[in-house]
Amino acid sequence: MITVEALTKTYGAYTAVDDVSFTAEPGRVTGFLGPNGAGKTTTMRMMVGLTQPTSGRTLIGGHAYADIPNPGRHVGVLLDASAQHAGRSGREVLSLGAKVMGLPSSRVDEMLALVSLTDTEAKRKIRNYSLGMRQRLGIAHALLGDPQVLILDEPANGLDPAGIRWMRGLLKGFADRGGTVLLSSHLLHEVEIIADEMVVIGQGRIVARGTRETLTAGSQGGSQTMSEDNDRLAAALRAQGVQVDPAGAGLQVAAEPAVIGRAALEAGVVLTDLRATSVNLEDLFLELTSDTQREAPGAPASQPADQGASA
Amino acid sequence: MSHAAPAAPLAIDVSATARVPFTRLVGVEWRKMTDTRAGFWLMLITGLLLVAAIGITELVVQLNDLGIGFNGWVQVMITPLTLLLPVFPIIAVTSEWGQRTSLVTFTLEPHRLRVLLAKLVAVVLFAVGVIVVSVGLAAIANVVNAGIDGTSPEWNLPAATLTWIIVQLLCYFLMAFGLATVTLSSPGGIAFFYVVALLLPLVVYSILLALLSWAPDVIPYIDMNYSMAPYLAAENDPTVMFLEKKPLAVVTSILLWVVLPFVIGFRRVLTSEPK
Repeated sequence: MITVEALTKTYGAYTAVDDVSFTAEPGRVTGFLGPNGAGKTTTMRMMVGLTQPTSGRTLIGGHAYADIPNPGRHVGVLLDASAQHAGRSGREVLSLGAKVMGLPSSRVDEMLALVSLTDTEAKRKIRNYSLGMRQRLGIAHALLGDPQVLILDEPANGLDPAGIRWMRGLLKGFADRGGTVLLSSHLLHEVEIIADEMVVIGQGRIVARGTRETLTAGSQGGSQTMSEDNDRLAAALRAQGVQVDPAGAGLQVAAEPAVIGRAALEAGVVLTDLRATSVNLEDLFLELTSDTQREAPGAPASQPADQGASA
Repeated sequence: MSHAAPAAPLAIDVSATARVPFTRLVGVEWRKMTDTRAGFWLMLITGLLLVAAIGITELVVQLNDLGIGFNGWVQVMITPLTLLLPVFPIIAVTSEWGQRTSLVTFTLEPHRLRVLLAKLVAVVLFAVGVIVVSVGLAAIANVVNAGIDGTSPEWNLPAATLTWIIVQLLCYFLMAFGLATVTLSSPGGIAFFYVVALLLPLVVYSILLALLSWAPDVIPYIDMNYSMAPYLAAENDPTVMFLEKKPLAVVTSILLWVVLPFVIGFRRVLTSEPK
């Protein structure tokens, strides 16, 4: 279990992380979501003592990270999969980690098998690894000491969809065995796939937290419908004070399906399609973090999806 | 936290876990020096240079029918060491920043002072090993050379002088380590080292010593080369005749170039944010 208490980090006048508090519970995968530069990485670095917080603290299983003896045996950390010596092989990196933690070399083979790095791949220098392979190696390194807690910064970055699904299975299994997982991402769909809970950060502040359901619960839902006479149905709904907008061949209605069904029945219009439009989590995410986005949503992307160098 | 699964305790019991033993950290740092191509080539070049130094000297000595004695052989072996040995501690420290492995290193051992000390022990063990091998090779060369000549080997190096040679070598070695922690960059650390260890004494101080009457009273206090030169020079060596033995100068030059870089550099490593 990870408890983050009022973590704050300022660099001169700039506040990178502003009074961030949340918990990541055992048995759950907690997603730490926010646009690049929102403070995810700085928060995670403060959790493991790489960055000294200006104020606040983090307890991992009730301990400050620096007080955990042989921390690799309790907390698996992946902060930057590319932060490895380019001239070492993947196997050598894991062997060094195993040596520090006091693990047998058989553990290295187990981890390589777990993340599906073949023997030849493991012997290659890391400079020849793709980002996806580095991520797999980083996950293997984090899991090496059989920890109870995982802290992973952008672990899905560079993984293909199959890789992301693989990671979901891996992390779900870890959580089901009682482990605590905190993973960050700037991509909503990754977190949506992998995480049970979400903590959304924007501009250094927590802007929302909860499960997918609780995050969308408070937002206005609506329905999409099509009928044999859209004009008549729209008029009937507007007469009740419901907002109706044309949407393609159908209508977008700011009301539950039951309201529309009843109106259609009373007006004698045959419905050909009717469904509730769930609130798009993507819209919610963009809305929550809109002040902090580097580019306005919908603006032409000036650069391809970046490498997730969130700070 | 009432809904946490019973099988998943909120607190982690760390009482059964021992901290990473210091010897293990030293072992890991040793391995990190040798498991990259840079480390491998550096060691190979050092070894080859030592062999080349012996070979070339043997050739010159035999062709010219010279007798250089143990003192000569040790000087021959030490010269490549003063040039190459300090690169090892610099690379050992700065590669963690250049390759950003400090992120992992300081995550697995958050007590950074232990990591730094483990690195220091590993590179000093390495330096001592290389020095022992070099002095041993010098002794063997001395005996072999005398055997070829049919004379008895000349042991013309007092133990005190040999000790000073090794002390100076280690001081420069430690300076390299300190400057590496100050710069945290391989090119920066190496450049800084050679400016202080070679360029200043050979180019700047030597001229000042020749031109300014007060220079011999000042420069030994700020330079380890000149402060220790009177101690490790052979008797009546003309190059250091105008320098007297000044114990205080030895202390101040070491304070300036070993202790001060250690203090500044260690502070920097302990407080920096590895990116």
